[in-house]
Amino acid sequence: MIYLDSAATTLQKPPAVARAAAAAMGRMASPGRGGYPAAMAAADTIFACREAAARLFHVPEPDQVVLTMNATHGLNLAIKTLVAPGDTVLISGYEHNAVTRPLAAISNVAVKVADAPLFRPEAMVERFRALLTPEVSCVICTHVSNVFGYVLPVGEIAGLCRQRGVPFVLDASQSAGALPVHMAELCADFIAMPGHKGLYGPQGTGLLLCARPAEPLLEGGTGSLSALQTMPDFLPDRLEAGTHNVPGAAGLLEGLRFVEGRGTARILDHERRLAAQCARELAVLDGVTVWAAPRLAHQAGVVSFRVEGMDCEETGARLGRQGIAVRAGLHCAPLAHRTAGTLDTGTVRASFSAFNTTGEVHALVRAVARLRSL
Amino acid sequence: MVYYLIVCRSLTYAQRTAAVLERGGITGTVLRAPRSIVGEGCGYAVKVAERRLAQALVLLNRAELRPKGIYIAESDGSYRQVGP
Repeated sequence: MIYLDSAATTLQKPPAVARAAAAAMGRMASPGRGGYPAAMAAADTIFACREAAARLFHVPEPDQVVLTMNATHGLNLAIKTLVAPGDTVLISGYEHNAVTRPLAAISNVAVKVADAPLFRPEAMVERFRALLTPEVSCVICTHVSNVFGYVLPVGEIAGLCRQRGVPFVLDASQSAGALPVHMAELCADFIAMPGHKGLYGPQGTGLLLCARPAEPLLEGGTGSLSALQTMPDFLPDRLEAGTHNVPGAAGLLEGLRFVEGRGTARILDHERRLAAQCARELAVLDGVTVWAAPRLAHQAGVVSFRVEGMDCEETGARLGRQGIAVRAGLHCAPLAHRTAGTLDTGTVRASFSAFNTTGEVHALVRAVARLRSL
Repeated sequence: MVYYLIVCRSLTYAQRTAAVLERGGITGTVLRAPRSIVGEGCGYAVKVAERRLAQALVLLNRAELRPKGIYIAESDGSYRQVGP
C-alpha cells in the first residue's frame, strides 16, 4: 500500500516509536501514583516527553505541556476555558469540526468567520483585521488547512490579537512537526496538536501547550493534593485527571526525538516538494482539478484534487483498490469546503509525511491517469 | 545519614526541581513525600544531601522554583520543617 493520508494520521513511524510503546507496556506503571521504580520510570518518561515538546515549541516550562488524547481534546480544553455562553468568537474560514463543533455546543456563541479565498494570506489578514471588533473575546485559527494544505498567516493574526488584547488559540494539527510553531513568539494562549500526525507518536496522543490557567474537562485523581475535593490549580495536574497513556507518551517521546533530530525545516521541505510535485503532475491530466498554491510557501504537505465526472468518494475507493490510500469527502471540515467552494462536491486529499517518496507520488498520478482512461 | 526533603506542589514540579539541581551538579532524587508532611495529601519531594542544601536553594531561587516546604529528616525517622 502507498499511504498518502498523513493528514489523518501518520502510518509509517520511526521504528523506535513502537519499540518504546511496547517497552512501556511491559515496564512502566502509573506516574504520580507511586514511588517504586516502575512508577518513577513512567514519570521520567512523561517528563522527558514534556521537556522535548517544550524545547521543540519554545514553551517556557514543561509544566505548560499538557498531555491530551488528541488535538480535539486540547481544542475543547482551550475553547471551554476561554469561551462562555453569549461570547463572540472569530475563526478562520478553514477550521475543522474540532473547533466549530465545540463552539456550537456553547449556547448563544456568535461565530464570526474570516473567509478569505484560498492561498491569499494578505486577504486573510485583512479579513481578520476587519472582523476583530471589540466584542470579539477570542480568536481561533488553524495553522494549516487539513483539506488544502493552505498555510494561514498565523503570525500576523496572532499579532493582531496581541495588539488588541484578545486571547489567541492555534490549532497546529497539520503543522506541528513540520512548520515552526513558536509558543513564545506567537504569544498564543493555547496551542493544540495531535501527537500521532507530524510528531509521529501513537494514536491516542496529543499535546496542549498552555500559556495560562485552564479549566478541566474531567475531574478525578491526579496524584497530587489528594485530600482536597477540587482539582489542583496548577498545570499540568489540573488538566490531567486519571491514569496517563504512558505507552502513548513513551512512543510520542520517540516521535518528538525523531522530529528534533531530523529537523522541522528538512521535514517541511521534503513534504512541500512532494506536494508541489503531486499538484504539478496531477494538473496536467485532463479532467483533473487541483487546488495548489501559486507560491510554495503558502502550502504544506497536503493537496486536494477532484476528477471531473466522478464522485470524490468513488475516486478515493478506486485509488484504494489500486493500493493507494487517500481520503475523500469533506475531511471533517465543511467550513473549509464552504469557504473554498467545494462543499457540494468534496475533494480527494493526498497528504505526505517524512516517509513518502517521489516514486509514490508518481504512482498516485499514474493511478489517477488510469481512472481517467477507464 | 542526614538529608533534606524539598517538598514540591506536584510531580512535574519535583521533576523540574531535580532537573535544575542536576544541571547544577547536585544529585536530587524524586520520591513520594511522607504523608506526615503533606497535609493536603499525595505529594512529591526531592531528596538532597545535607551539605548540598544551601547550594540547592541558590539554584532553585535562580530558576524561580518555589518549594512548598523544606524538611530535615531527623535521626528518629521524623521530619522537621526548616523552611521556607
